[in-house]
Amino acid sequence: MSFSGPNGPGLDAADTEFSPRWRSSRHARRLLTLALAALFIATVTRRPEFAGLAAPALLLLAAGRGQRRPPRIGLRVRPSTRRAFEGELVAIDVSVSGQGECSVAWTLHPGTTIEIEGPDGATTAEGPQARFTFSPQRWGRRQIGTMDVVLRDRWRLAEGHLTVVLPTLDCYPAPAQQQTRVVLSRLPNRLGEHPARTSGEGIEFAGVREYVPGDRQRSINWAASTRRGRLQVNTFAAERSQDVVLLIDGTTDVGEPGSSAVDLALRGAAAAARAYLDARDRVGVITYHWGDVGWLVPGLGRRQVYRLIDAMLASERASSGTLSARGTSLRRLPRAALPPGALVVVFSPLLDQRFVETLRDMRERGFSMLVVDVLNTEPPARPHMPLRGGLGGSSPRASTDRMSRRIWRMEQEAIRFSLRELGVPVVHWDGVQSLDLPLAGYSRRPLIASGTRR
Amino acid sequence: MTRTVTRPVAGWAIQAAADLLGAGCVVWATVPLLAHQGLATLALVAAVCGVAGGALRLVLAGVPVPEDSFLLPPPLRAWLSFLHTIRRVPWEEGAVIAIVWLEVLHTSRPRHTAFLGAALIAYLLATHLAESGASPGVLRPQLRMLAVGAGLLALGAGAGMLSAAGPGAGSALLRLIAAAALIASAGLVLPYVARREPR
Repeated sequence: MSFSGPNGPGLDAADTEFSPRWRSSRHARRLLTLALAALFIATVTRRPEFAGLAAPALLLLAAGRGQRRPPRIGLRVRPSTRRAFEGELVAIDVSVSGQGECSVAWTLHPGTTIEIEGPDGATTAEGPQARFTFSPQRWGRRQIGTMDVVLRDRWRLAEGHLTVVLPTLDCYPAPAQQQTRVVLSRLPNRLGEHPARTSGEGIEFAGVREYVPGDRQRSINWAASTRRGRLQVNTFAAERSQDVVLLIDGTTDVGEPGSSAVDLALRGAAAAARAYLDARDRVGVITYHWGDVGWLVPGLGRRQVYRLIDAMLASERASSGTLSARGTSLRRLPRAALPPGALVVVFSPLLDQRFVETLRDMRERGFSMLVVDVLNTEPPARPHMPLRGGLGGSSPRASTDRMSRRIWRMEQEAIRFSLRELGVPVVHWDGVQSLDLPLAGYSRRPLIASGTRR
Repeated sequence: MTRTVTRPVAGWAIQAAADLLGAGCVVWATVPLLAHQGLATLALVAAVCGVAGGALRLVLAGVPVPEDSFLLPPPLRAWLSFLHTIRRVPWEEGAVIAIVWLEVLHTSRPRHTAFLGAALIAYLLATHLAESGASPGVLRPQLRMLAVGAGLLALGAGAGMLSAAGPGAGSALLRLIAAAALIASAGLVLPYVARREPR
């Protein structure tokens, strides 16, 4: 299964009627100034040549009054998509109708985190139709911006102004790279692509056993049969799928905007969702916030990727479509949201003690878990204040800072150590490299599933 | 994030033409220089400032300004205020008024005023083309109207010269012919003014 971006075909939108505000152009105001000044002087000084000086400007203005200015125009705004990944190129087509002989000028004012891109990268265009290309830079529901439309009559003496608010765009976090998958040693009895420990009808060789009536002839291992003197058949591993639940910790968002803990958690979870859905696994998501848990039950298929990402973003904008409950702990989640025997992949900076306790609790209830640590920052240091007198050595304040940072690091190490002691692997991901690298130690062989079940 | 506030300038040639025409109008209206008469110095300064400000506005038309103006450093804020001022002040209008005032300070010289009028119209049209980024072709529909305007300008200059001819029967006859010509030209112009564009 392969996934393309959500950038599909253009959305068809009907013309919307707008009434531009018509007013004189700067050119008309200048001509009027010249005409009035010259006429005034001609009257005051009784010099007819100044009346002649006013004549061309007055003529142009009078002729311009006869131009037709449409009171209403139709405007069509058509973004190429309403959903895009971070950094993906999106186009927006705008066209006007009913403008008559007026020329049209477009100016795009992009919204927050919207970057104008494309071959020309222009924010202005001329003509009844125009296309602007841009890319959203950060996940979330983003306003594309506003569009200024200026109509000018044929003589360019009047301008009709119009400002249109462009539609919103759902920006998905750009998924990280992940090709490999962590597979549990014990898989549910459901057809899939992961070789299980039990023998079945898969393609991965598992062993040789003696032939029994009913075995297929094509599975006879002739070499082994010749050696042993009795018919031997090849056995193959059964292929199973697994349930994967992505647990995203949204309690603490630290780090630079664009590469903060929540940013990395969302990108990593998006990558994991794609990787596991590629392998026909059922993938669900749980987002954990302060006293608020949202979830999407595990499911299959290509649409599930977008449902999962929507569920992740739902925590930001509290949209419908996913189930959530305020004040719900993970212990009270329905069985469908957190199926027994599921692999729980946690994306968290592990800064919230309550969340860490929740992980411990889940582990004690028998869930097989793997934590991807997305913490890539440390408490900021205070500005260095040199000692009065300029002598060598550091100030007590600086040494206190160093000491507190050291204690903080040790606390973080202790949290991770305690999780590892409980049998929860913790890997660190910097958000830059592929997720395959930190997961390499666990994706090469099956992850031992816990024996107990809740 | 930045945005371009004004329209792109079509070309340096049109912009340079606008600047040269503005400077030429100032010089044309000023020479010979009249000192200490009817605020001539003030009008000259205003005309120069108007033309220079208009030229600066055209040069800085394509400079982008940040979309968000919060928490900007003071130098950048000062620069943005300067840009805002340059773009808001009606420099050309001030220049036109000052130039016409400089012209009126001189004694009657109708032919000179007619040339000045033509240059002023050219200056305003060039400025318009430069700031809108339009090609000179957009003026093609206005050519006939401009030609008629030039005729009226010449008639005005002719009427100004008639008054210098002094009293007498010939002079009265000339004024009568000039008035008839003016009425005839207005009749020629009226269809253009009244005509509606085809829908």
